[in-house]
Amino acid sequence: MAEQKPKIILQTEGLPDQHSLKTYVEKVNGYTAARKVLGGMSREQVIEEVKQAGLRGRGGAGFLTGLKWSFVPKDITGPKYLICNNDESEPGTFKDRYLCITNPHQVIEGMIIAAYAIGANKGYIYTRWEYQEEIRYLENAIKEAYDAGLLGKNLFGSGFDFDLDHYTGAGAYICGEETGLISSLEGKKGQPKVKPPFPAVSGYLSRPTIVNNTETLANVPWIINNGAKAFRQFGTEKSPGTKLFSISGALNKPGVYEVPLGYPFASLLNIEAGGMQPGRTLKALIPGGASAPVLTPAECEGLTMDFEAMAQRNTMLGSGAVMVIDDRQSMAELLKVTIEFFAHESCGQCTPCREGTGWLNNIMDGIMDRSAKPDNIARLGSVARNMGGKTICALSDACAMPVMSYVQKFSGELQAYLAAGSGGHSK
Amino acid sequence: MSTETVTFNLNDRDITVPKGTTVMEAAHKHNVYIPHFCWHPGLSIAGVCRFCLVKVDNRPKLEIACNLQATPGMKVSTLLPEVKEAHKWALEFHLVNHPLDCPICDQAGECKLQDFYMEVGKYKSEMDRPKVLKPKALDVGSELVLDTERCILCDRCVRFEQEVTKTGALGIFNRGDRAVVGTYPDKKIEHNYQDNLVDICPVGAFTSRDFRFKQRVWFLKDQPAVCPGCSTGCHVKVYGKPQVRTYFRVKPQESEVNGHWMCDVGRKTYKHLNQDQRLRFAVAADGKGGRQRVSVAEAIASLALQLQGVAASDIALLVSPQYTCEEYDALFAFFVKKLGVSKVFQWREPTENLDAFDGLLYRGDHNPNTFGLSEALAKAGLPKDVKNGFEDLARSGAKVVVALAPEIEFQFPSLAGQLQKLSELAFVSVWTTSGSAYNVKGLRHLVPLKGFAEKKGTFRNFQGKVGELAKPFPAAVDEAKDVVEVVTALAEVWAHA
Repeated sequence: MAEQKPKIILQTEGLPDQHSLKTYVEKVNGYTAARKVLGGMSREQVIEEVKQAGLRGRGGAGFLTGLKWSFVPKDITGPKYLICNNDESEPGTFKDRYLCITNPHQVIEGMIIAAYAIGANKGYIYTRWEYQEEIRYLENAIKEAYDAGLLGKNLFGSGFDFDLDHYTGAGAYICGEETGLISSLEGKKGQPKVKPPFPAVSGYLSRPTIVNNTETLANVPWIINNGAKAFRQFGTEKSPGTKLFSISGALNKPGVYEVPLGYPFASLLNIEAGGMQPGRTLKALIPGGASAPVLTPAECEGLTMDFEAMAQRNTMLGSGAVMVIDDRQSMAELLKVTIEFFAHESCGQCTPCREGTGWLNNIMDGIMDRSAKPDNIARLGSVARNMGGKTICALSDACAMPVMSYVQKFSGELQAYLAAGSGGHSK
Repeated sequence: MSTETVTFNLNDRDITVPKGTTVMEAAHKHNVYIPHFCWHPGLSIAGVCRFCLVKVDNRPKLEIACNLQATPGMKVSTLLPEVKEAHKWALEFHLVNHPLDCPICDQAGECKLQDFYMEVGKYKSEMDRPKVLKPKALDVGSELVLDTERCILCDRCVRFEQEVTKTGALGIFNRGDRAVVGTYPDKKIEHNYQDNLVDICPVGAFTSRDFRFKQRVWFLKDQPAVCPGCSTGCHVKVYGKPQVRTYFRVKPQESEVNGHWMCDVGRKTYKHLNQDQRLRFAVAADGKGGRQRVSVAEAIASLALQLQGVAASDIALLVSPQYTCEEYDALFAFFVKKLGVSKVFQWREPTENLDAFDGLLYRGDHNPNTFGLSEALAKAGLPKDVKNGFEDLARSGAKVVVALAPEIEFQFPSLAGQLQKLSELAFVSVWTTSGSAYNVKGLRHLVPLKGFAEKKGTFRNFQGKVGELAKPFPAAVDEAKDVVEVVTALAEVWAHA
């Protein structure tokens, strides 16, 4: 069954020299989409095709990519920018790094097409510092593309120029937020910017800028080559296409898998990931990265991997980071590391986030060393509730959402941990 | 600028504002109060305190008023329970790690955190954990002390340093609840606008080295005035405690002349008003070291005698450009019009550079009323050139000199030497606020004057704009008079002589 799955993103996966330009061009018709676009499609046609395909951003928010591109003012002169968000900072996510070492040229080709669509002649790939190996693959791919005349001036004789640079971030979570990324790229402290104005109007260096996730961009060549209709064969009505899921936990085959959106969670767990390790049972599921509200096994019944099904269960597909929590893990300790991460990564600009994440972490310290008062567990919930939806970016919500879900669904375990440390220590 | 307007609804009231106006600006102009910390009318929008949340009809989330442009028909509320609840929690978050050391904090009484707490506080705090501790009592500049624990990271000071002084001397370092505001390694804030940071700091993080621990602000009274420190003529408030006749500080008052700011030099123009700096009574001296305290009336009578003993051509005036237009008018009406005196000289600092300007507010002409003096001279039919006439006076051969001394002495380095020179001339009557003339033994005659905060009148700044001294404090020195009062009394004695 697994081998029948469509490959839209990881087209070269498993081929010899899967990451090379040669493989991409010769085996999967690489750069034909860029040639097609630059050979005669108008910008509007490209945007329309992507809109029709219903491609949604794969970084976490699921915003419609074609719609985002259409926000760039058309009649504006001067530079515009395209940025590939390869920061992949959501805990549990490791799909973009896999894409970078498997099929980097498809990302570059996607960028050429996207840049043409928005009228940008300059692009950046922004990767976190920790991805040293992936950065080598990307830089190598960029060099290969330049050497082959696929980047630079007058691409495919169309008169369209596109220069692409790689930029290495310092590894901050918030530099995966598009305006935080832009601040970082500008050489400033990586802090999100107050909106409006939105980047499509005033982004990098106060110029119109589109920031797209790596995986999102990798979808674009396939859509151009095969059409929006073909793309919509896969996935669901509102979540068309395939998606990379990075599934982790006490599994037999954790890893990155490309499956159509709407794919059953049970299949992803038991077929792709090979099921739970012997003796382990499912205790909870974090379906879309650390910021996604946690699901109980009951909520995983009949769960499908798409934006709508997740929203129905008040959680989110996010970046596709599926974290399977087994019976030996302590929910209290899991919550502690989750909150500690966000408290550490809060940029500190907005008061509710700066103080809220710190406060939650402070309470969790008290639960860990049992100095917290019993009512502090309910307080986790009330603090989190009042942090959400009130800040420049979504980091505050990213911390608050899981906290509320843990307090709602696992408060008994948190109470037990606080009372006696008997809440299921991880072994 | 576009004259297009937008009408929107704020708390069930239709408000029309120019297109592009934010809800916060509109509310500010129309006296609807939206609580805020980081927004400041003189700075760019940061949108970080998340306190000014308002509800916009048909939008799911609360929005910050400071970055929300008013659009036609938009319906905004600051009064709904969900908005009030959001304000309470916004405040609670601000207080989580705030030290709550109000009893020893200089900002108490004019602290926005404290004010908002009284208004929208939760009163029953939910915070029962240890607080984050941060560096305190930091020396960040000659005028400033910084307490990073009290700081609520509103970013106003950082933006001030970037946008107003353009020095970029401050930054916010580290992240999350470890974030602290501070200067860069081995650097301090060095400009002449440091105390503005104290003004814009909504809490007691920045305190003024000059004012801290001196007085509780609720004991202070303030009066509008014009800064006498230079020809810009910033509109200011002078703060004092009239019941003990003591002045404590000067702060800027928003105006089109100075915006929201003033310089640190101007802030020091209250010090000379205090009693320990003042000439407290009139003095008559024999020129040989014998000095005695006399009443102002006696002093005026003896001056009248001196004036009557000489021809008008033997009388000279030496006038500082630090007095009001009204004082000049009275002075010249008597001496020039009535007595026919024509030797009128300006008492200016010889080292002054009239063209100097720091690009913000502080100008090289350290007199508040050069413009007004020139106008008054012209009105009296005398040369109005801006020129230091001290040497001309010495050469003029005048036998009786009436000298109106500069009030702001710390900007007048030549003053001591000039007073000494004056004492070597024939008969000089020095009218002054300052006690420094008392120590110059050869001076024959001293009249105590009121300071700028103690009299009514007007200054005209370098552009000729009128600045008003409208609501004077009672003089710190009982016997002090303003020039109008002295001249009126003198004219009366003259008439009856």
